[in-house]
Amino acid sequence: MKLLKKPPLRVLLFSLLSLLVATAAGIAQKQPQNVQVRIGAILASNQNDDFDSRLKPLEKQLRVLKYRSYRLLKDESQDVPWKGNKVFQIPGGRSLMVAPQEFQDNRIGLKVRLTEGQKPLLDTTVRISNKGNFILGGPPQEGGVLVLSISATAQ
Amino acid sequence: MERTDLELVQQCQAGEMSAFQELVSRYHQKVYMVILGLLRNREDALEVAQETFFRAYRKINGFQGGSSFYTWLYRIAVNLSIDTQRRQKRNPLDFRETMDGVFESQNEVARDPFADVHDKELREKLNRAINELTPEHKAVIVLRTIEGLSYKDIGEILGCSEGTVMSRLHYARKKLQDKLSAFL
Amino acid sequence: MNGCENRIEAIERWLDGELSGAEAESLRVHVTACAECAETQRRLEKIQRTLQGALRAEAQQLEFQRFWRAVQIRINEKRPWHREALERLRSAFPASRAAWAVPAVIALLLAAISLESYLPFWRGAGRNSFATVESIDAYGRNVALLREYDTKTTVIWLYQDQEGENEAAEETAPSGPAF
Repeated sequence: MKLLKKPPLRVLLFSLLSLLVATAAGIAQKQPQNVQVRIGAILASNQNDDFDSRLKPLEKQLRVLKYRSYRLLKDESQDVPWKGNKVFQIPGGRSLMVAPQEFQDNRIGLKVRLTEGQKPLLDTTVRISNKGNFILGGPPQEGGVLVLSISATAQ
Repeated sequence: MERTDLELVQQCQAGEMSAFQELVSRYHQKVYMVILGLLRNREDALEVAQETFFRAYRKINGFQGGSSFYTWLYRIAVNLSIDTQRRQKRNPLDFRETMDGVFESQNEVARDPFADVHDKELREKLNRAINELTPEHKAVIVLRTIEGLSYKDIGEILGCSEGTVMSRLHYARKKLQDKLSAFL
Repeated sequence: MNGCENRIEAIERWLDGELSGAEAESLRVHVTACAECAETQRRLEKIQRTLQGALRAEAQQLEFQRFWRAVQIRINEKRPWHREALERLRSAFPASRAAWAVPAVIALLLAAISLESYLPFWRGAGRNSFATVESIDAYGRNVALLREYDTKTTVIWLYQDQEGENEAAEETAPSGPAF
């Protein structure tokens, strides 16, 4: 049987290539001093139909995921200096390192690493609008999955 | 007159759920046998067997009749079983070797109580020995237990030649005989 | 050994029904007269019988109506979008090609998304509000990226499988502060 081969090296090569393409187009603008990064850790599951009222502003985004219930586990904000980084402790023995990279066209480039214990799960570089967010999810948590809302505001 | 597999597939592609139900009825036990042989766990095998037919239903419109329906179906089952085995390897504490219970439950009336004990030991040892085979060798041994599956069919299911099936079977059987010689 | 070592594979093929009529008959005659080959046949049949018997006994306990109901529930159940996306991607690519196909797809999509940086006319008010995923490394795990236009949501979804399948990511538009 032709078992699937694991191509982490190929994925890394393509990721690096993409990074080169993407960063070639960027020119740094005048940088604000700090970025306030806010992480919402949410439990998404099908165990019941409860929706945590504290997640109301995110409801439309979360409904995209098609789970039946959402509960806020943790909400944390930290000011992160440009070119520095901060680590957020995430439920489930995980941590999220966020490092703002650049500010251009009112958009913030963030480098994000999700780790479980000592083991890296995901590295990604994302550019979001100032005061915007993106969703990162999937790791199992308490009978459901962990969903993170990661937002950033330049200060 | 009984409809052929291909006729049932065509009727299913035309929207007849009863045709798919008939296909499930024909193959659910054999699919379960294959998956149970690979996964060695009843609950997982049941879950994967149900998922196999679900996936088959979802993909049925893509079945063109290039291979026989049952080799196509077993291929889905084996691939899903391999995926499940890989996940279990990463979570070894979750892996429950309940095939011991499976082999013990095969409890025919024994005329000779000593023969019964001897057979039980053979089943336990066989279970363990099969589990020590590589996934490729386990797959050919298990598929060969399904009646009606030729080397050609097994090769189609596993994506290898008949010669490879033959040599894997030979190797696997030799390994099993070496481990079980005292019990055979 | 009287040279019957090299007959073992033939005996296996014979028991598996893979020999032609004449070959099968010839071997059957030999096995009847050869104690060593007869013992090989007995052992092989015993292994086959034991395994087949155990699996068949289990399978016969499977109650069809209950099994069919469970399959029907799966067919009628609406699955989370990311499972649908992953299953569609898996069925679109044979296993041997998925390892190359998936990184190729993600590279193409990231390149398309990066076009926003080069082509001014792509920068509409709406598009500018989407998050851009510039790189991603899931350390061999499956990762899905999705852009959902109605809510302008970008989702990066990490699976626990380590098959190296990567899907393209889409980007979310910010809808204000997170909470």
